[in-house]
Amino acid sequence: MKDLDHLLRVAATFVVVTVGFLVVRGFLIPPTFGKLGHYRAAAVDDVKAMPVRYAGRAARDACARCHAGPVRDRASSSHRGVWCETCHGAAGAHAADPKSVKPGRPAKGEMRAFCGRCHASNITRPRGFPQVNLSVHNPGAACTECHDSHKPKL
Amino acid sequence: MRRLDRRRFLRTALGAVVAYAASCLAAPLARAQRFFRAPPWKIRTPYWGFAVDITKCIGCGKCVDACKTENDVPREPFYFRTWVERYAIRKSGEVTVDSPNGGLDGFEPMRDEDSIVKAFFVPKLCNLCENSPCIQVCPVGATFKTEDGVVLIDRKYCIGCRYCIQACPYGTRYYHPTLKVADKCSLCYHRIKRGLNPACVEVCPTDARIFGDLSDPRSPLSRFIAENPVQVLKPAMGTQPKLAYKGLDREVR
Repeated sequence: MKDLDHLLRVAATFVVVTVGFLVVRGFLIPPTFGKLGHYRAAAVDDVKAMPVRYAGRAARDACARCHAGPVRDRASSSHRGVWCETCHGAAGAHAADPKSVKPGRPAKGEMRAFCGRCHASNITRPRGFPQVNLSVHNPGAACTECHDSHKPKL
Repeated sequence: MRRLDRRRFLRTALGAVVAYAASCLAAPLARAQRFFRAPPWKIRTPYWGFAVDITKCIGCGKCVDACKTENDVPREPFYFRTWVERYAIRKSGEVTVDSPNGGLDGFEPMRDEDSIVKAFFVPKLCNLCENSPCIQVCPVGATFKTEDGVVLIDRKYCIGCRYCIQACPYGTRYYHPTLKVADKCSLCYHRIKRGLNPACVEVCPTDARIFGDLSDPRSPLSRFIAENPVQVLKPAMGTQPKLAYKGLDREVR
């Protein structure tokens, strides 16, 4: 009889520990963990829900609705591959609410540095890419005095 | 109606059982057949990849700026999801690499241009490894590869131990100073899921960055990889990156 008591005690401990482990584990592991792999499947939705700042090239028609001139000029110029937001900055908010949110444009005084980001002569840039030596190419003049930024060829 | 004897009854019953079992097995068998002919990891669509054309990169750093804006990456130096490096190979054979503020403010011309044999810009970002070390080392399963092939971070589950930052052979991860979690290029997962391009691809003025679906042989990315000689970074690491480079020099690490 005494032996049976020992065995029951061991069995009871075993059951309590196992059930306790399963309960704690159930609380600690997030609900979607392991659904798709060794990670929380809901994390994918968290990342997906991040806000979009750049309207992107998919908004081409939306841009053209108000800015038909620049969009048309750019389409046939050497800047045709350059997307609006490359120079004007993130405009997702502007596309959603064109009246109250206005995207930036470079000030006239900063023009040379702004255009120079791409076009200042630099030995590291690929050969054939149009570059100018800013210190000898009409120093002091804003680029837009001669070039239309949407149709840069003179 | 004829009386059933035992023999006839058993024969009919056996036939019915066999017919029923066969009909039960048909569906799983067909499923198994489909599985072995076209396993899910081969027909998964889309499966995202990326390519960089080094021969087109002009080092304007617009991609770095766009990435920081789109993904709320801290503006200070050292926090980058993507950055641009400048490699210069000298006549002496010496190789110099610099990346002032990750290329965020562009690159000033180098002073000693006469000693340079060749120089080029190399944009860097997550290499989208098929066999990624960062996922293997994460102790809590907070970084993972999605079903469409993008390596992401679970910000709620990350404990900020930074082991993955050490593990990445390409140095593409950083520790976010305010969120206190590891952070990295997500291929703008929130954008590509809405049908948009990643922010860096949108703003690149020379189309040096190509994003697309590897599972579609007609996607711009698949065509780019098929039509150009491309290479990946550190192939000997066995990480199998899905980020391909065109014009990759042997000096690039």
